[in-house]
Amino acid sequence: MSEPTTNATTGATTSATGKRVLMAKTGLDGHWRGPTIVATALRDAGFEVIMIGMARAEEVVQAAIDEDVDLVGLNVGGHVDVAVRAVEQIQSSCDGVPIFAGGVVPPHAKRKLEALGVEVYPPGSQLPEIVEAARRLTGII
Amino acid sequence: MSSDAVVLSALLAAALDGDRQALARLISAAERGATLPPLTPPTDRAEHQLCIGFTGAPGAGKSTLVSALTGHLIAEAGAAAVLAVDPSSPFSRGALLGDRVRMHEHAMDPRVFIRSMATRSETGGLARATQVARRILQACGWGLVLLETVGVGQVELDVVYTADLVVVVLNPGWGDEIQANKAGLMEIADIFVINKADREGLESTRRDIDAVIINRPEHQRPAVVETVASEGKGVKELAKAISLARESLCASGELHRRRQRQFATELEQELLRRFKVSMTQLRQEESYGELVEALASGADTLDGAASRLQKIVLGKIALR
Amino acid sequence: MQTPPEDRKWTSASGIPLKSFYLPDDVPEGHRRVLGAAPGEPPFHRGAYATGYRTKPWRIFQLSGFGKPEDENERIKFLLEQGETGFLMEHDRNTADHLYNVDHPEVLARREDVGLTGAVMQSVRDIDICLRDLPIDSTYGHAGGAVVQHAPYALAGYWTVARRRGYDLSRLPGTGQSDYFLTYLGCVTKQQVPTDAGLRLNADIIEFCDQYLPRWVPVSIAGYNGADSGLNAPQELGALFANAVEYLEEIKRRGTMPLAKAARGCGGVSFRMSMDVFEEASKLRAARLMWTQLLAERYDITDPKVSNLRIHCVTAGSRMQYQQPFNNIVRGTLMGLAAALGGVQSLGVSGYDEALSIPSEHAHQMSVRIQQILQEETNIASVTDPLGGSYYIETLTAQLIERAWAFFDEIQAQGGFLACLDSGWLHQQAAENQHQEFMAQADGSQRIIGVTDHTDDVSPFEVDGFMGVDDAFDVALERLEAVRRERHEKGAADAMRALEQACRGDANIMGPMMDALEAEVTLGEIGDIYRQVWGDWSTPIQT
Repeated sequence: MSEPTTNATTGATTSATGKRVLMAKTGLDGHWRGPTIVATALRDAGFEVIMIGMARAEEVVQAAIDEDVDLVGLNVGGHVDVAVRAVEQIQSSCDGVPIFAGGVVPPHAKRKLEALGVEVYPPGSQLPEIVEAARRLTGII
Repeated sequence: MSSDAVVLSALLAAALDGDRQALARLISAAERGATLPPLTPPTDRAEHQLCIGFTGAPGAGKSTLVSALTGHLIAEAGAAAVLAVDPSSPFSRGALLGDRVRMHEHAMDPRVFIRSMATRSETGGLARATQVARRILQACGWGLVLLETVGVGQVELDVVYTADLVVVVLNPGWGDEIQANKAGLMEIADIFVINKADREGLESTRRDIDAVIINRPEHQRPAVVETVASEGKGVKELAKAISLARESLCASGELHRRRQRQFATELEQELLRRFKVSMTQLRQEESYGELVEALASGADTLDGAASRLQKIVLGKIALR
Repeated sequence: MQTPPEDRKWTSASGIPLKSFYLPDDVPEGHRRVLGAAPGEPPFHRGAYATGYRTKPWRIFQLSGFGKPEDENERIKFLLEQGETGFLMEHDRNTADHLYNVDHPEVLARREDVGLTGAVMQSVRDIDICLRDLPIDSTYGHAGGAVVQHAPYALAGYWTVARRRGYDLSRLPGTGQSDYFLTYLGCVTKQQVPTDAGLRLNADIIEFCDQYLPRWVPVSIAGYNGADSGLNAPQELGALFANAVEYLEEIKRRGTMPLAKAARGCGGVSFRMSMDVFEEASKLRAARLMWTQLLAERYDITDPKVSNLRIHCVTAGSRMQYQQPFNNIVRGTLMGLAAALGGVQSLGVSGYDEALSIPSEHAHQMSVRIQQILQEETNIASVTDPLGGSYYIETLTAQLIERAWAFFDEIQAQGGFLACLDSGWLHQQAAENQHQEFMAQADGSQRIIGVTDHTDDVSPFEVDGFMGVDDAFDVALERLEAVRRERHEKGAADAMRALEQACRGDANIMGPMMDALEAEVTLGEIGDIYRQVWGDWSTPIQT
């Protein structure tokens, strides 16, 4: 259990990190096992995780803006170009919001996403590693 | 003005101008407890400046109902904002916020602004920031705010301090819950919705509600609306009931009294918060230890020690 | 990080405590009574048939499909040439599971995904292409329709093609699926009919098959999809039979057909085979015994032809690892072995590239070869229930049964299987297990070779994902437009109206569905009718 931090000037008690992560699936494939495990782990690490389920690129962008998130997590699968489209739209509309991705990502897709600056966590990645990435990408560590 | 204040004023100006990103950031700032510039409050007579609270146990179908109702209300009001509040984990302070999933039909509608909020550390379910977020939204042209609150195992009673009008969402077969929450329900509900009304137990639930509201004078008796939100059934009737309830609250002056009470509550909470902050700081200081020690050793009475503590705390608040 | 041996808890994968060896007294009293039963005799835990694989080798039955219908047709033919003994049609999941045509906005936004998970089949024309030159009158086929709302369409399509080819439907072999575990637990679509509407569809299919397609397996409950979402072995068993009870109760309520025939229709099920070889083999033994018990005690059905459960297994996709994918050939073999030891009737082995993509042709061939090696080289087929009588296996079988009934009772206490899907309770159970498993991997108590141990950063044996073909979307769009242009428009409109009326009323929808397919009503149009009539299931989970 982490202690709540208190902002000395405003006195606002915030969540352990106060950071908000948007989690979305780019495809229409409803396997929820992976994203749910990751979302739960992020919550347990103190993140506020906003889940929007299967969403088109422009829906991810709209949610990222309205929810003012610090990080976007994409569960990708299927054809890499669908994920690439989401990444490109987020990068052009939400300045500087980092993106990480997981899911069924074969090596060629992983390389393509990494070239766009997306951190990719394929199946078999361990939760502590993913949580660590979220903390690093949101500037906590 | 401090640099923070400059940033906030700029954000507010942009948000007033219709910039969603600025609006979103302003709400984040409010969540972090920032001091905001003055905001224009809603007027009682303006029909589409209304904060409607929705409460009910998890699984009652609040998100689905709010989503369906939003679709209906924007036709008249032109726009609507949804604040979906879910609990923070008491252990990690993190939260899973999933209400947008059920509102996906509005995901790309520029007339709808959805914001998920965690209760963060606030007890009683509703974040203080919720009220601030509502004020920001209403000041920035989002007059109609649908506030979906979390009710853990029961209805959320604090919603009356934030919303102008409260809709309690129940399901058929919830007789025990209605009995157990009788007093609370009486106090807060302006409208009862029996959602999932196509399920068994509708009649008995209606009877249970009738038994609860029968003691109220007829003109104050809450409407009972049956809906099947997932199919859009009864949503039109709910919108009508809301409109009637608003008119009646406005005519009787109750809406005005409620809004005054909301401001009073906010004011008191702000003071309590300051008190808490000062107490937190004080605990680190030597004088605090001395007070406790005096009490522990019998050198001072509880009354005496508390009076001295009060003086120190008030001094600290004054210094800010 | 590794747990020292003295601290290690020795349990089965589902958490049943294990002793280091077993003695006769360990076998629970109640279970000793059934030890003497032979395979092929009630309560059937020792096997469905006395002669086992000597007379009926398990069916080699692989999921297959991608691209255009002709691509899928080609792959199915390849698999049959390789020695597959039944075939399984996969419809593109983006379109099929959602009942969307390719020009639906949700699909347009993901056009590159179209055809990656199965062939796009938007009208009976596409299904006809997919089945071209396949011996559907004599080969056991799976028509697709894994997801509940898709099943009536997929089945009616397959049957319409068969009818047009002049085959007698009353002699047509094959199976449907319409699985609740997949639809509402394992892989929740963006839009889906509510669970009660789904129940009505499945009961309609059961009735229709009873009347017109007696050799067809109308529905097949797939515990697999619950297990691969996190349910453990006894939970998979308990939930599967709780699901069967929903179907039987609905048929009983309707009173339109003998319950025993409905039970026979529900008695072809599938389970997941995972890596705990003995627990998984015991699970299949437990399943057969439980089905016999359930039918006798709850429905007074004791006809051995009905109470003899037939089991299909698929090896756990989630156990196929991304890292060092060739290790998965070994995993597939071991899981296949567990199924064979448990007395399976048909089997699919996941491709070694499962964690990366749909199976490549080579991965598919390996899945078939694994099964052929098990059947032909290991002598496993000679003796039925080779594990029977082992103190350990019999004890584990009895323990699984006890725990599974306890889980079944828990589901009933909460209003039944459908209620537990609607409330999200089953999802919670599954998620809880998944969470524990991930924690176990993180703290070193669960080890996976190549993933938690013996890892290498860059494998020289990299397998890249198979990406199918790139013209599936374009061709599908052209064909959809062609159907709209060329079909008899009034006929299609009439069929749609009749189908909508059937959906709104109580009559069996399968007749009007057959008419709709015959009139070339498209997948998405049928979906629109469903959405109009039934709305959307309110999913209890957030993905």
